[in-house]
Amino acid sequence: MQRRTVLKNFLILAAGTVVIPSCMNDRSAASIPLKHLQVDGEGEKLLAEISETIIPKTAIPGAKDVYTHLFALKMIDDCYGPEKQQQFETGLKDIEKLSKKKFGMGFLKSSPAQREQLLTELESRKKGDALYDFYQMTKALTVQGYLTSKYVMTNITKYELVPGRYNGFAPVKTVYHQI
Amino acid sequence: MGDLKNTASRTFDAIVIGSGISGGWAAKELCEKGLKTLVLERGRDVKHIKDYPTTNKMPWEFEHRGRLPLEVEKANPIVGRCYAFGEATDHFFVKDNEHPYVQEKPFDWIRGYQVGGKSLLWARQTQRWSDFDFEGPARDGFAVDWPIRYKDLAPWYSYVEKFAGIAGDKDGLAELPDSDSLPAYPLNAVEKYFKGIVAKNYNGRHVISGRCAHLSQPQQIHLDQGRGKCQNRTICERGCPFGGYFSSNATTIPWAAKTGNMTLRPHSVVHSIIYDEVKGKATGVRVIDATTKDAIEYYAPVIFVNAAALNTNLILLNSTSNRFPNGIGNDSGVLGKYVAFHNYRARVSGTYEGLQEFTTDGRRPTSGYLPRFRNVRKQETDFLRGYAAGFGASRSSKQSWDGVGKSLKEHLLNPQAGPWKVNSHMMGETIPKESNYVALDGTKRDEWGVPQLKIAIDYDANDEKMIKDYQEQLTEMFEKAGFTDIVVQDSKAAPGLDIHEMGGVRMGRDPKTSMLNEWNQLHQCKNVFVTDGACMTSTSTQNPSLTYMAFAARAADHAFTELKKGNI
Repeated sequence: MQRRTVLKNFLILAAGTVVIPSCMNDRSAASIPLKHLQVDGEGEKLLAEISETIIPKTAIPGAKDVYTHLFALKMIDDCYGPEKQQQFETGLKDIEKLSKKKFGMGFLKSSPAQREQLLTELESRKKGDALYDFYQMTKALTVQGYLTSKYVMTNITKYELVPGRYNGFAPVKTVYHQI
Repeated sequence: MGDLKNTASRTFDAIVIGSGISGGWAAKELCEKGLKTLVLERGRDVKHIKDYPTTNKMPWEFEHRGRLPLEVEKANPIVGRCYAFGEATDHFFVKDNEHPYVQEKPFDWIRGYQVGGKSLLWARQTQRWSDFDFEGPARDGFAVDWPIRYKDLAPWYSYVEKFAGIAGDKDGLAELPDSDSLPAYPLNAVEKYFKGIVAKNYNGRHVISGRCAHLSQPQQIHLDQGRGKCQNRTICERGCPFGGYFSSNATTIPWAAKTGNMTLRPHSVVHSIIYDEVKGKATGVRVIDATTKDAIEYYAPVIFVNAAALNTNLILLNSTSNRFPNGIGNDSGVLGKYVAFHNYRARVSGTYEGLQEFTTDGRRPTSGYLPRFRNVRKQETDFLRGYAAGFGASRSSKQSWDGVGKSLKEHLLNPQAGPWKVNSHMMGETIPKESNYVALDGTKRDEWGVPQLKIAIDYDANDEKMIKDYQEQLTEMFEKAGFTDIVVQDSKAAPGLDIHEMGGVRMGRDPKTSMLNEWNQLHQCKNVFVTDGACMTSTSTQNPSLTYMAFAARAADHAFTELKKGNI
């Protein structure tokens, strides 16, 4: 790690931005370029499974199918400040530790039921708890990414770019259909 | 452009500085009358449809779903506060570092430097002014008397409305004269209910559908412009491929171009107006090419300054000569002073538990509007003038975000109708004062060698009283309607975000106290016309763009007549 830090600082000086060629990584890189976040391929996989646990595949695609994990990485990397980014990186590591402590294995190795059990426990924690805050940030981005995904907006909520109408007295039952 | 060294190739019948809402109108009118017209625009060209890169993007095609990256937000604290600045629109806004200015007092100066200017980005509300507005300064003893009255402008309102396309009802209100309009966008269930409550409980208070520059039912003149019916997309700030709303790009500029009389020159920063002391009039303008930084002069017997309110002030202040050491036409010393704006600080919102059987379907480019009801016919409060109010009701979807897994997914994919939310914002008239001014900074210059503009504009005690009254009155009206969870807010925002800055080159009867006469001509240099926000003597409460359009068309007509008579 020390070698990487030194090289990274060199590259910051050289180019003004962090560019770590994948050959320098001892693990696989995330599948989208990240400017600030230190999340590698393993971290991305972990995030994908957390997202999939939040919104699993049923007859309708789940979070992983619509890549909410990549949306979340992109948003945290580009739109969030260093503090939130740090909180996210730490949270990914801590959730892994919690899984090992609870189930004797990492999140990726645990069963879907165990994963859901773990997130349900986080759900009941309080604001200010580091893992709770990490979980809520991840959940909010997962839900946003899912509801604004092409699949959901096209097939389920049916977004109209060109409505061509306005009815200010639309009966509720003609607008909302349960699936 | 031909040979730039050749004076003839740089000589026109008229020059229009700026291609936004008012400049576009001046260009159209002058070109239609047969004048070879040079339109100077400091920014790049934006061609209708072709240069609207985000116009047909779906929400999921924006990688940050509309939000801008943190580094963009951090680099742009000023424009970042504008409600319309986001991932879909940032290419149409001037970034904070592009044209710096000096804030002697906090002022969020929102600008759009491109062909079309802010007409691409505006909120498209178009309410006429009335004599309660034009007679305001004389009645209430502030600023100076307007040199015109409603009857002088009324035919020009009709003229521009028919071409632009204004949707609105015939409400028959003296304080908000009816437009020559297309069918209005309807109020929804809760807005209509509120309209009834207000009518029952108050004399002289009305809830109407906000009149807006949208083609609810295009007429032949609009089809001739290549425009079509508004499709209720309500993503107007991206530019509309249907030409559903009025912009210079969709409307006046292509119309002017079609005459064959327009020469449009983008990337042209106007440095100053050239004044000829022997002839006693302006003879042209000095331009800095934004790309090459070369200085070029253009000449014409008629010059329209439509650079947007504060930049028009900047150009006139920077147009110095032996005759006018303090800026062209500025013997009075009034230039740059008595700037005013609209006070948008306060909001009142709430919830309505009734009419649960209804919701809204589709979208609408306007909402409800309450014309000014304070101090209209006589002075009745402890503050001068009054405010109009926007009013809208909407019902969004709600879904529970509780839980994890299949149950959460079930909730998310089965939204229910949420509560009706009601929202109002104030649009307060502010009083033009000598102490609210813009001036040239003594030392700082921009990258084109033009002095930076120093801005000193602030609220006063009258504005604070008006905010309080708006909050109290709207709360009372909301309570009478049975709205609950009423929340009263004061954003404390600096002036500027209303994007309705006006004045500095005000109209008036007396050259000693005003810059422009009743035809928008500089009193002391009659071939220079100002018909953008800079010309405004007072601000009224109504959105001003429609009035700029009417002034521009009227002044262009006068300029043509005077030119033919040899008077200018």
